[in-house]
Amino acid sequence: MTYSRSMNCFEFYDRAKKGEKLSQDDWDLMTIPMKTMELKQKYGLDFKDEFVPTDKDMMENLFKAGFEMLLDCGIYCTDTSRIVKYTEDEIWDALNNVQKEFTLGTGRDAVNVRKRNVGDKRRPITQGGPTGSPISEDMFMPVHMSYALEKEVDTIVNGVMMTVRGKPPIPKTPYEVLAAKTETRLIKQAAAMAGRPGMGI
Amino acid sequence: MASDCAGGQLSSDSHEVSQLNELKIDLDAICVMAHYQGNSDIIMDEQMPIFGGYAGGIEETAIVDIATHINAFVMSNASWHLDGPVHIRWGSTNTRETLQIAGWTCATISEFTDMLSGNQYYPCAGPCTEMCLLELSAQSMTDTASGREIQSGVAAAKGVVQDKTTGMEARMMGEVARATAGMDISEVNDILHKLIPLYEKDYASAPEGKRFQECYDIATVTPTDEYVDIYAGARKKLEELGLVF
Repeated sequence: MTYSRSMNCFEFYDRAKKGEKLSQDDWDLMTIPMKTMELKQKYGLDFKDEFVPTDKDMMENLFKAGFEMLLDCGIYCTDTSRIVKYTEDEIWDALNNVQKEFTLGTGRDAVNVRKRNVGDKRRPITQGGPTGSPISEDMFMPVHMSYALEKEVDTIVNGVMMTVRGKPPIPKTPYEVLAAKTETRLIKQAAAMAGRPGMGI
Repeated sequence: MASDCAGGQLSSDSHEVSQLNELKIDLDAICVMAHYQGNSDIIMDEQMPIFGGYAGGIEETAIVDIATHINAFVMSNASWHLDGPVHIRWGSTNTRETLQIAGWTCATISEFTDMLSGNQYYPCAGPCTEMCLLELSAQSMTDTASGREIQSGVAAAKGVVQDKTTGMEARMMGEVARATAGMDISEVNDILHKLIPLYEKDYASAPEGKRFQECYDIATVTPTDEYVDIYAGARKKLEELGLVF
């Protein structure tokens, strides 16, 4: 079906207000497991003992199964208890127009993220950091600096500061906002102190 | 959104929004997307499918992982998707099962789409241990060979213990990726079949490792000699398995 316009978060919101109603338990315990089981059988998926696949037919079947999963099930909105569905053309519109490369960071510290292939000779970008791990306030700067000082590291992924000005950053309090700003500012400073002020985070 | 501020994040930094397990979202996330799109920010859509969770087994979780990747670009208009198949019992991304899910999913989307994808690292063991370095190496090999664009980590000790991450784990992630890039896929699979048994029997008793301030000199931000020795030992073990640094 031809779409009227490309899918975006605004259209998603509108559909999340009027899509089919379903309980979250039904989604989690019926829709998801039943559909994955059905698609595994339909496409005869069996990865055997390979970690990185060499069977292109099986990979194609996996792609079809994943695509069909999204097309048939859609996405469940937990706030409205409704299902947002996409058309096949809307999904292909997104897939046909993905950003094929982008730059993280600025100046000489910037890195270009470009598509890689199976067995590619170029290494992936290394985004070093605590990846959401809890970090104490007094260690926050040196921990992140330890990543920025590594030449193998291209960009930084942040840890979570456990206190800010000694207070826990409880959600929906001013301290949550302060912590978010302080984390980012300290990581930028840590990268700058390591001699890489333009590092992407 | 609060981190988009003076001295904070720029449009050229990754701005995170997370989907929920499995194939779910809340309206707060949709509002965050509207902010990112309005700022022309690089958008990183994150989600960690759970092996043994709602989806089921290895192939079933990979199906959901593919759907989740695609949704990142349909719903979130993402620049890239941050993956991270995780084991329901061990809370790790480095298990045999989750590596299979990650490897098959990434190779498939690399083969059939232009979507850009990263993967997160959650080993069981803590920093300054050989097990932690071997766990993350298995994932780095899988990610590099399967066409992953970004490797993101490392949240050592499953990312739940305060101050238990350091730059040394990221160095190993980078070095292993450099060594794996361009390797024959069957050779990568062969090494993984030898590497994973070296640590998978120890999930329940994984060494806790040391906190950052216990394995680094804080003033100079330098790893201790002990950690450098452990790192060298793990690197040697990987070389013995066939990895050429």
